[in-house]
Amino acid sequence: MNSIEEFYSLDKKPDYAEAFLEDLSELNSRLNAFLNISKISGQNYPFSVKDNICVKNVETTASSKILRAYLPPFNATVVERMLSKNFDFLGKTNMDEFGFGTFGLNSDRVPRNPFNEDYVAGGSSSGAAIATAVLKYHIAIAESTGGSISAPSAFCGVVGFTPTYGAVSRHGLIDYANSLDKIGLMSRSAKDIRHVFDIIKGPDNYDSTCIDIGKRKIPESETQKNTIFLINQINGFLDEDVKSHFSGLVSKLENMGFAIKTIDFSLLDKAIPTYYIISMAEASTNLARYTGFKYGSKNNEFSHDYNSFFTESRSNFGTEAKRRIILGTFVRGASVKSRYYGKALKVRGLLISKMKEILKQGFILSPTMPILTPKIEDANSLTPMQNYGLDILTIPPNLSGFPHVSFPYDYDKGLPMGAQLISDHFNDYSLLDFVENWENAFEYKFKYNLGSV
Amino acid sequence: MMQAIKIGLEIHVAIPTKTKLFCACAAYNEQEPNMSVCPICMGFPGSKPMLNAKALEIAKSVANALHSDMAKTVSFERKVYFYPDLPKSFQITQLSNPVSKGGFIELQGQNKVRIRRIQIEEDPAKILREEDYSLIDFNRSGRPLLEIVTEPDISGIEDLKEFMGEMKSILYYLGIDINAELKADVNISGQGERVEVKNVTGMKNMINAALFEIKRQEAARNSGTAISKETRSYDEAKMATMPMREKESDEEYGIIYEPDLGEYSIESIPVLEPVYASRIAKELAAKHSASEKLIMEQIMFDKNALQLINKFAGMYKINTVVSAIEALKKYNKVLDNAKFESLLMAISKNMFVSGKTIEAIEQGKAIEAGPEIDESLIDSAINSMLSENKGLLRDYGGNPKVFNFVIGQIAKKYNASPRYISTRLNILLPKFVAGKED
Repeated sequence: MNSIEEFYSLDKKPDYAEAFLEDLSELNSRLNAFLNISKISGQNYPFSVKDNICVKNVETTASSKILRAYLPPFNATVVERMLSKNFDFLGKTNMDEFGFGTFGLNSDRVPRNPFNEDYVAGGSSSGAAIATAVLKYHIAIAESTGGSISAPSAFCGVVGFTPTYGAVSRHGLIDYANSLDKIGLMSRSAKDIRHVFDIIKGPDNYDSTCIDIGKRKIPESETQKNTIFLINQINGFLDEDVKSHFSGLVSKLENMGFAIKTIDFSLLDKAIPTYYIISMAEASTNLARYTGFKYGSKNNEFSHDYNSFFTESRSNFGTEAKRRIILGTFVRGASVKSRYYGKALKVRGLLISKMKEILKQGFILSPTMPILTPKIEDANSLTPMQNYGLDILTIPPNLSGFPHVSFPYDYDKGLPMGAQLISDHFNDYSLLDFVENWENAFEYKFKYNLGSV
Repeated sequence: MMQAIKIGLEIHVAIPTKTKLFCACAAYNEQEPNMSVCPICMGFPGSKPMLNAKALEIAKSVANALHSDMAKTVSFERKVYFYPDLPKSFQITQLSNPVSKGGFIELQGQNKVRIRRIQIEEDPAKILREEDYSLIDFNRSGRPLLEIVTEPDISGIEDLKEFMGEMKSILYYLGIDINAELKADVNISGQGERVEVKNVTGMKNMINAALFEIKRQEAARNSGTAISKETRSYDEAKMATMPMREKESDEEYGIIYEPDLGEYSIESIPVLEPVYASRIAKELAAKHSASEKLIMEQIMFDKNALQLINKFAGMYKINTVVSAIEALKKYNKVLDNAKFESLLMAISKNMFVSGKTIEAIEQGKAIEAGPEIDESLIDSAINSMLSENKGLLRDYGGNPKVFNFVIGQIAKKYNASPRYISTRLNILLPKFVAGKED
């Protein structure tokens, strides 16, 4: 039984009246999981929505000042599908501005790790992961471009599932990088994710890149299901503590009957520049529309000339957004485009085919993050390049559109650790099968269980 | 040394789809401003473009008609620039995989104007400029546009007129009305570097802009001024081109692929059969030894006329059919085929048709047959007039006015249509001249 079925089978539903909202608001004032919270009936299972996904008439800003007070006139397809299945919308979750970040620190309200508030919650889907870690009954609609589901899921000790690119409609998702953005889910169990994934996936008349993965599922062999590849090149990037915890996981999996193999993937270090060039190039075009002209906050008089009006409005972007606009505009500029954007597209193609060769034979497994959960102050003092470098493990499947899942496998000084499993395109369910199997032998720990009976 | 004039065009016309290129909003409506809009064509966050397959079908039909090599798959690009009429601050257009590449339009004689590429893109919103403010109407935002780019094969104003006439006719038969929206960039070279006149609206302005530019460049050359590569605009009121701020090259738009649309296979999209009205006119004229020009005038932009000619050309003399169509157009009412046939009979017999005659036909009244006209009588009258007035031949320099009195006199004498006499005259005159030389 998944916790959604459990919820509906409860004799007495959790009390979602004032007391619950007060508790949640109090906790939220410290952890900054939610940007806004809605009252819910308590009759239906609650879900939260990352703030870059549109909910009709609910402030949706992607954590950016430039969209302050923006009320979307329509629901994202995922939201529409959740509401049609009688899930209750609980609130919008905090994130790095437009999804630009690994730790959640590019938000005005710093998200904190629910296991220890001095530590980061991870990003960019920070609030989704925190909410999942503190609420007993809840599922989070999150989104990943380069690791925004895996990273916070690992740091907050929850399951974070990023489907095959195109499996879930992006209609209503505020674009970061359209060829990379994927809506996914976070929960306390793979069973819940399977239940909700079935509801939100599938073709949509409002997103032409959205496909039916059910019809495209590639038949798996038994070997593929039971083989796990470890990439040799990853070792050089891992902290010693992470290495030792991870080798414990590998032994456990071996004991569970998985064949563990090592393999070379020499292109690994090319994934970061490739990802950042493509994502910034696309992001800089996506952010071009925010001119303070038609929606969001208008902090200028229309009497200005166009250029100064646009420029002043666009000063509302945060530092990281400005950095990505400038770099993204640079890499698609006439004189350098073939050296950066053009080359990145080629390398991306190569990365996909090389990874696919491996994934045809089995899963790829690695720690989700190469480091232990950092303290907020330490993460804040990283340079942008150091920060981007920490995405080394989450970028490859994101850049290639492969489905992947981050699941908690251990705890270090009370803080959870996550591992990331990657599968071939359209083999999304094999990941959920794997995690369900893993959950039989693993005990989740949570500090908070708000909304439990 | 005088260089040959070379004109190349980038023509934008509206694709007549019911809905916009990437959303379900009505593409054309007479509503209030900003009433035919949605999150997609307003560029709201979270909205994604959905391609209108009908626009591809029409674009593919045009590509087919212009003998252009059709792409198997098409994709789109983002062209980024900031302007209030562009809701996403980028225009979705085509660069690397357009609908088609290559192709040509045949002109009279052996001339061909080569086509470089045909692509589709979205129209920006409309800016309405008032004295001290501007208004934006997004009803137009996201309308499908067809861009046709030619090679610089147009060798002068006459060529330009003929090319645009042919283009207009081909597009007309595919359902595209060039008069609805026509914007062109006109590239002209011949006296030095290439000069581009941007954003010229409508056929008349295109021709006037080209005329002005050719004269300006000639004058500059004569005064020893070098023509440098530049972009100019056209001022309709002054009928003159003006220097413009240097345009950014394509690459400076920071163009990247449009990832929301991906690649579309267009192989299975059907095309509409092209109609080359000028070629049909030529064939009909040759077959029935009639005037190509007169047939062309009737059928270039008139599907009904073409249908009537095809139906009745075998039954009646083609000149009779053409005269009947002409009379009908002047009458400005459509007759069904049976009534049109009555009209044809009247014209065959009377050779002279007025609005009253057509009205009578429409009301189903029997037409009183006038005296049969012996056509050989008219031909011999023309021939004798020509023989008797040899001075006329000397004065004849392609000026039809010279013959007006010939036509008038014969028309009066035989109660025949001046148009018919003029037609015969055009046929008989070359024969007469040739006969003299023999």
